[in-house]
Amino acid sequence: MADSNIEIGDIHWLMAILQNIDVGLVVLDRNYNIQLWNGFMESHSGLSPQVVSGQNLFDQFHEIPRDWFMKKAEPVFQLKTRTFTIWEQRPYLFRFKNYRPITGRASVMYQNTSIIPLESIDRSVNHICLIIYDVTDIAVSRADVETAQQSLSERNRTDILTGLNNRSYWQEEADIIYRQCQNTGVSSTLLMLEIDDFRNLQRSRGHRTADEVIRSLSHCLMETVQQEDLLCRYDGEVFALMLNGVNSDDARIYADHICKRASEVCFEPIGEGITLSIGMATFSTSYNGVDDWLQAADKAMYHARESGGNRVSVFASGSK
Amino acid sequence: MATNVLICDDSSFARKQMARAIPKEWDVEVHFAGDGVEGVQAIREGKGEVVFLDLTMPNLDGYGVLEAIRKEDLPAMVIVVSGDIQPDAQERVKKLGAMAFIKKPIDSDKAREVLSEYGILPGAVS
Amino acid sequence: MTDTATVSLNEDQRDCYQELTNVAMGQAADRLARLLDSYVVLPIPKVNLIEANDLRMAIQEVETESAMSAVCQGFIGSGIAGEALLLFNDTSFSDLANLMNYDGELDRHGQLELLMDVSSLLIGACIQGIGEQLEIHFNQGHPVVLGQHCRVDELLQNSVNPWTKTLAIEIHYTMEQANIDCDLLLLFTEDSVAKLNNKINFLLD
Repeated sequence: MADSNIEIGDIHWLMAILQNIDVGLVVLDRNYNIQLWNGFMESHSGLSPQVVSGQNLFDQFHEIPRDWFMKKAEPVFQLKTRTFTIWEQRPYLFRFKNYRPITGRASVMYQNTSIIPLESIDRSVNHICLIIYDVTDIAVSRADVETAQQSLSERNRTDILTGLNNRSYWQEEADIIYRQCQNTGVSSTLLMLEIDDFRNLQRSRGHRTADEVIRSLSHCLMETVQQEDLLCRYDGEVFALMLNGVNSDDARIYADHICKRASEVCFEPIGEGITLSIGMATFSTSYNGVDDWLQAADKAMYHARESGGNRVSVFASGSK
Repeated sequence: MATNVLICDDSSFARKQMARAIPKEWDVEVHFAGDGVEGVQAIREGKGEVVFLDLTMPNLDGYGVLEAIRKEDLPAMVIVVSGDIQPDAQERVKKLGAMAFIKKPIDSDKAREVLSEYGILPGAVS
Repeated sequence: MTDTATVSLNEDQRDCYQELTNVAMGQAADRLARLLDSYVVLPIPKVNLIEANDLRMAIQEVETESAMSAVCQGFIGSGIAGEALLLFNDTSFSDLANLMNYDGELDRHGQLELLMDVSSLLIGACIQGIGEQLEIHFNQGHPVVLGQHCRVDELLQNSVNPWTKTLAIEIHYTMEQANIDCDLLLLFTEDSVAKLNNKINFLLD
């Protein structure tokens, strides 16, 4: 097309295409004054070519940071290279409102931009052309995918019944705390909590009610733990709670408190409190990983249960 | 008498392009070298009164050839023909004794212009 | 699909691609050097037929690095299409920021800005340089930063267009005064290679 003979009539319809094409076209001179402003730009900005023609880009559109834009545009003038901006860098170059009340889901138009050199007859570049693409749909659907992925990954780490962390996620996080203890010498304490006589409860009141009790207990626990603590439903009626940065004395106070509270609080589905067997193990360098630590707390919990429940047992190295 | 011209470039395509760019009216005998080592050898043998020299080459690059010419004081007029047109590269080769620098891709007009400018092409430039 | 003719490359063609690339990357380096005021070391480009698996491995390596470090950009002209992949191997973002006179914060967003600016220059100049010599005007698509919104593992799984072997031009750029080391890979689609070879053969005659 470039070397064919363009007649006046042809220029006429070329101009019509320029006006109607669904991308923005802007031509700037060496001083960033606007020389061409097509229909797309007029429609979205509400500014006619007569108004913006000859105006400086940065005076007219304050949303475009001068320094940033010149970093992209100067190489086009100086090196005759093309440069690009994508919406991930800046959502838009020109702030245009979203224009579709029904299918538009973003408040602004996301834009990708190409900046291309326009050579004069003497091969120097005194003008550049901005091509503005509306990529709102792409940006929005990317955001959708990300939200979906995020909720998927949240689902992957959540226990469905209680909304607490599940065991596998808890174990990953507990491992981090284990290593912190190892490296910093700050001690943390691990609690394993079990509802006493849970099988009985299931048999007498039914699975649904028993599930409700588990859920109520998890709410009760959630209210008492700190943000940096790590709680999960470990298995069935067993919970694991890592008290991050808490030594054995303070943990003991907490464990006794929770044991008492559970027995006093009225659990709605059964109209009374429940008792817990709690095993407690504070970090020790003798633990060879989080599993070892868990096993220690589990042993202590077993001891509490065997001693009649409704109590806290502390793991002491050497105990069985 | 024909001038011995050496084209030293690792690319056979570039050697051909260079050979084609040599002005037709110039009475020359063209020799070729595929890298710097071959190039220096050819110059020692007197095949490179005028040398068209590439810079990026395996074994011995263009800079190495220029150094060798200087060290052995070989009689060669060197015109560097290179794709590496960074200001630094142009400066370096001039310092190393290259007579002129032509950027690739080469064409016969450019070659004629440079050869005339340095009076290598006889009878040219009115 | 009739375009699945086996991709081939003879010695003369390889040599010719290498020389065209040499000239193109020289132009790219020149632009970069002028902009950054630093000398770019130019190696001899590698021209090869590359297997899909090799590419997969190269991209996977990017993924293991947590930082963003790869930019892709498609190009097309005269029915010849391909994609450029710029991989930053061992690049210090702070060195890059110094060179580019970038004084913003070097967080994820700052890194993205730098990657975009450098890749625009390197990829654009190289593609245009090759295009000019072959008398092809290449149009370039918008760059995609791998690892940002584009997960590499998905990229590898969801490739719609399975190819086995195609033409790849590999350029290794390093900077003299800074810790910057990157590979530019130009990959042509399988059906473009035959057309490209025709153009090359014309030059070789």
